Amino acid sequence: GPGILTRTLLNAGVRVVALESNSAFLPNLQSLENSLDGQLKVIYGDFFRLDPLVTGTVKPPAMCSDKLFETMGVAAVPWRADVPVKIFGILPQKKERNTLWRLLFALYECSSIYRYGRVELNIFISEKEYKVLTAKPGEARAYQAFTVLWQVGCEIQLLHMEPWSSFATNLKNGGLAVPKSMWLPNDHLCLVRLTPQQNLFTGGLKPTNSATFIFMVKQCLAKPKSRLTDRLNSWSLDNGGKLLSELEIPKNAETRNLYPEDYRRLFEALQNSNTFTETWFHDEVLESIRNINL
Amino acid sequence: YNIVMRSWARKGHLQHINRLFSMLESVGLRPNLDSYAAALECMGRNQSSAKAIRRCVQQLKSDGFHVDELFQKCLFEEDEKEKVLRAIRIVQPNYRLPAPPKPQTCKSSLLQGFYSKKKTVSYPKLDFSVQELQERFQQQLEMELDNTVTIESVESTKPLTPQAIKARKLLATLRSHWHDSILQALQKSKHNMSKLKTASGYNILYPYLCLLPDEEYVGIMLQILNTLSPQGESLAVLARELGAKVYNRYITQRKLRSRQLEKVQEIYEDYIHLLAKDSQPDEYLPREYWEKLVAEAGFGPSLNLKDCSWPYMLLLRLGMHMLELLVQAVKVPRNILSPRLEPKLIPVLYHIYSFRSSWQVGLIKPHPIFSQIVSDAAETLLTFNSSAIPMLCPPVPWTSPHFGAYVLNDTKLMRFVDGAIQHQLLLEQCPPVNLHPVLDALNQLGNCAWKINQPVLDIIISIFNDKGNEKLDIPPPISEAPRPSAAPSNSSAWNKSQKHELLLCKKKAAEMHSLRMDALYKLSIANYVRDKVFWFPHNMDFRGRTYPCPPYFNHLGNDVTRAILLFAEGRPLGPKGLDWLKIHLINLTGLKKKSALQERLEYANEIMEEILDSADHPLTGRKWWMNTDEPWQALACCMEITKASRSPDPAAYISHFPVHQDGSCNGLQHYAALGRDLIGAISVNLMPCNVPQDVYSAVAQQVEEFRKKDAEQGVKVAQVLQGFVSRKVVKQTTVMAVVYGVTRYGGRLQMEKRLKEIDEFPEEYLWEASHYLVKQVFNGIKEMFSATRDIQNWLTESAKLIAQSGRTVEWVTPLGLPIVQPYYRSRPTVVSSRASRQPARAWQVSITCGKPDTVKQKNAFPPNFIHSLDSTHMMLTALHCLRQGLTFVSVHDCYWTHALTVDVMNQICRQQFVALHSEKILQDLSKFMLEKYCRAPMLICFLSGSSSPGRETRALWQKKLMEQLSNVPKTGEFNLKKVMDSTYFFS
Repeated sequence: GPGILTRTLLNAGVRVVALESNSAFLPNLQSLENSLDGQLKVIYGDFFRLDPLVTGTVKPPAMCSDKLFETMGVAAVPWRADVPVKIFGILPQKKERNTLWRLLFALYECSSIYRYGRVELNIFISEKEYKVLTAKPGEARAYQAFTVLWQVGCEIQLLHMEPWSSFATNLKNGGLAVPKSMWLPNDHLCLVRLTPQQNLFTGGLKPTNSATFIFMVKQCLAKPKSRLTDRLNSWSLDNGGKLLSELEIPKNAETRNLYPEDYRRLFEALQNSNTFTETWFHDEVLESIRNINL
Repeated sequence: YNIVMRSWARKGHLQHINRLFSMLESVGLRPNLDSYAAALECMGRNQSSAKAIRRCVQQLKSDGFHVDELFQKCLFEEDEKEKVLRAIRIVQPNYRLPAPPKPQTCKSSLLQGFYSKKKTVSYPKLDFSVQELQERFQQQLEMELDNTVTIESVESTKPLTPQAIKARKLLATLRSHWHDSILQALQKSKHNMSKLKTASGYNILYPYLCLLPDEEYVGIMLQILNTLSPQGESLAVLARELGAKVYNRYITQRKLRSRQLEKVQEIYEDYIHLLAKDSQPDEYLPREYWEKLVAEAGFGPSLNLKDCSWPYMLLLRLGMHMLELLVQAVKVPRNILSPRLEPKLIPVLYHIYSFRSSWQVGLIKPHPIFSQIVSDAAETLLTFNSSAIPMLCPPVPWTSPHFGAYVLNDTKLMRFVDGAIQHQLLLEQCPPVNLHPVLDALNQLGNCAWKINQPVLDIIISIFNDKGNEKLDIPPPISEAPRPSAAPSNSSAWNKSQKHELLLCKKKAAEMHSLRMDALYKLSIANYVRDKVFWFPHNMDFRGRTYPCPPYFNHLGNDVTRAILLFAEGRPLGPKGLDWLKIHLINLTGLKKKSALQERLEYANEIMEEILDSADHPLTGRKWWMNTDEPWQALACCMEITKASRSPDPAAYISHFPVHQDGSCNGLQHYAALGRDLIGAISVNLMPCNVPQDVYSAVAQQVEEFRKKDAEQGVKVAQVLQGFVSRKVVKQTTVMAVVYGVTRYGGRLQMEKRLKEIDEFPEEYLWEASHYLVKQVFNGIKEMFSATRDIQNWLTESAKLIAQSGRTVEWVTPLGLPIVQPYYRSRPTVVSSRASRQPARAWQVSITCGKPDTVKQKNAFPPNFIHSLDSTHMMLTALHCLRQGLTFVSVHDCYWTHALTVDVMNQICRQQFVALHSEKILQDLSKFMLEKYCRAPMLICFLSGSSSPGRETRALWQKKLMEQLSNVPKTGEFNLKKVMDSTYFFS
């Protein structure tokens, strides 16, 4: 686009690394880079094609995060340290949900950009996705596994809302390229700040077992109206009832009524229960990884 | 209303029927023939007064019906027909049943000779006596009455381990527990449903749970439990399977109760006389003879059942309900395998969700404990639906879209995609006489008797029960699956590569399991019928391509299955038979593809030593057969050649061996014939040549020429491609482009794959080179098949316009089979199931709705149209082979017959191809479509655009479609008659 984000950031006086995925725009950007005396660094690459899952050589503009961070001169810091780098951008509407899932998996695994610490994202996403990210328990359709996982993983702040009309989104046929939304409002693009939680991995949750956590939340919320006890029972736990009462979760609670924090506590309690590791659950998690990566 | 009336009629309660007639009136409906039939049946049953009957008949007439129609159009069960007749005779004592309609003769110009009765022909007989065939029919009937067949698997010869004995005992105990708890759960849910007074989503299933004895439902559910794979199965698939099993048993019961079966039995016993060697009639086709017998039988129940199919949604809901019962009722103590755990009952089946991009799929998986016990037990009994076993007697001939094939199992003439019923309606509306050629062809294919090639089967089983052999396509057992290298036992501590390795192993194991099971089913069924003669009843898909009905073991299978099949009927080899066997062998090896038949024969004679060695010492000798394209069929052929050549007089040697003749790129052959493309015709062997032509080499040659020119002019990518343009590289793209009409984009991806396989090809040029090559392949094809491309474009463009106006593409094959493309858009639909008082579970499944899928309607039309032509050609060949007394079966464009009759079959095949393409196929299609789509009244619902189009746009559209359809592409110079002399047309 016209580079509004880049310009604003430069005007604010910060050091900017610009990722440009279209080689047609590179020459102009590069001349800008040369005229700015080190404030701007231009890299040919596509942020949304970082660390592609396919094997084989990575062809630009796809790129590997370690290359990117090396070029930027940013070193990895411990998880609890301050934010090492801030990323600004606009999510492509077409694969918005997929991109967010990929970022989420990277976050829980501490892989890709999150290997370098709690990278802060400042991204424009559609209002409907924002509504899902910030939904409260019980909100029909909005409260999803996606919600729980993001809320456990990040602090979510709304920085700005801008009506769609401010963006040039015309398709070839003259229509607005605004994704349709049936149930949730979708009149704006929202600038959202996603800061990974400092204490994400201080309890029982670890990057090594986080796949199980993700799997558990997804299985629970696949049918939001089902009862949590039924879910636990079908996982062959023999003390599901006791577990719930210890966590002070009502016996008849539906999975959509649990707070994100409840899921985290449930998972940590399960990790401590020795019967959980005996169940089939772990096999399933492994199998689900295949799906996650696709 | 009619269903309820019929029930009252059976009980003889006339007042109730009268009340239903008034109810009909009060809701503005009018009684139809069936309503009157019910009323009259009731009156006949309780000997009503003549006055009442007269009033009823009066009313029937005033509603515009005729008494005769009752007997011509209504379907009857049990003694209904007799009772109606009795009522009529009370008022008209001299009433006579209307004479059965005169058999009509098909008027298709392609079959004039075939159906003309001018000279009497006799059709071949089977090598069985009436007595023998009747015994076989009894066996088949008993098998179908049981609904399922339990057979020993081929693995049963393996010795039993103590572990297996223990696990089997355990399973037996568990199963008897499960049986009781499922029965209890079923009865409880039925009880709960019956207490509700009003119909709801919950108890709407109640009647369907009362159709069979409870025990049968339990049996069906237990059977599903036994066959569930450890990887689990999609909920919708399982539900449909359960629903279909209940439906099948219900149909069996209805056929028994309505005495339909009795009548089928009676007629079949007479019908047998047509086929048996020791009996008179032989101048009838099976269908004709069956129809004659039915007409003569007169009274009794109709052979077709009244309105008995269940909607797809109902099958699903019923299945979902039964699945839910299973999930709730079937439990196992969790400590059963590791006693240190606390004993607690846990469910054996559980729901789980698999996530695929944006949507989730519900799965049912068995608990690993259960899978472990099952795998330890290594049970060797397999249970199949009786329709999975080949028939033990000649199939019931097809006489209508609903009747034919098995004795009891419900089989449709045309296979269908779930939920789509349009083609079924089309067949019902079609005048029966138009279907005769298709029915007769299917009957001919189904009447071919088969037997097992026992020596080959034994060798295959021995390898199967040993360690399998991937190279020979015998899937190894799961015990041969790769295992991940040692890793920490706690999976959460694994690193990425360990997880990855485990995943790969699991994936491989899952694949191996399904391959192994597939082979186990096929071999076990083959082994079960090893000493029997058997038949494959056939039906067809919506394009008329024919398929054997038994799903696992049939002659359409892979090399392994084909190798164990022989014709039950034997014929002497005759003077040229041994040569044909040898040529067939060389064809199976894949060698000498470009050589003339004589050279192939000479080659076979040269390697006779190898052939004899392969036959005599298949596993211990030099194993020449193993290195061929189709090793198992090659081995079987080696054995046959050996036996024949060692017999005192090879010409008199009785051979049961099927010899195949393959169409060379059959789709293209039809295109080239349609367009009379000269160069195209030569390259696909429509033109006589000394050696077989290879279309792919020709295309490659053409492309190479273009490339050379470009390279000389300095086109970089053309220079890079030097030495890489080969037959193999262009083959797939050519097939895809010409036969299936793929776009350049799809073609490029295929091409890129081929180029990637070549190690030396520089990777950085992949994209550019594949792009360039596809362009050149298209150019080459254009040059060679100019009319073909025009025809294809015309077909696509016509289909596009038709589909865009919201209609489905329909046509009629030259044999009169009506075709409609069954592509409809599907929409997610929620199916809920509730067992006992648990909260309802709701599942989303895709159900087709009535709106056509525009893109599919358009893209699939050219290939479907060509397939409808190749099926027509096959059926014509089948019918004329029957007329000449040949054994004939087909695998689409691969025709099989005895070695003795290969030459006759080849001649018929060519004749019929010429006859077929001498019809004005494209003109007829154009005429049919103009009639169908361009005649008023216009009721087009436009799919694109939200605003409804004005009258002008519609008129414009109409005009465009009319122009398109009228503008039949021009054809080339090729003289079709040349096909008659082309050796390599089918070879």
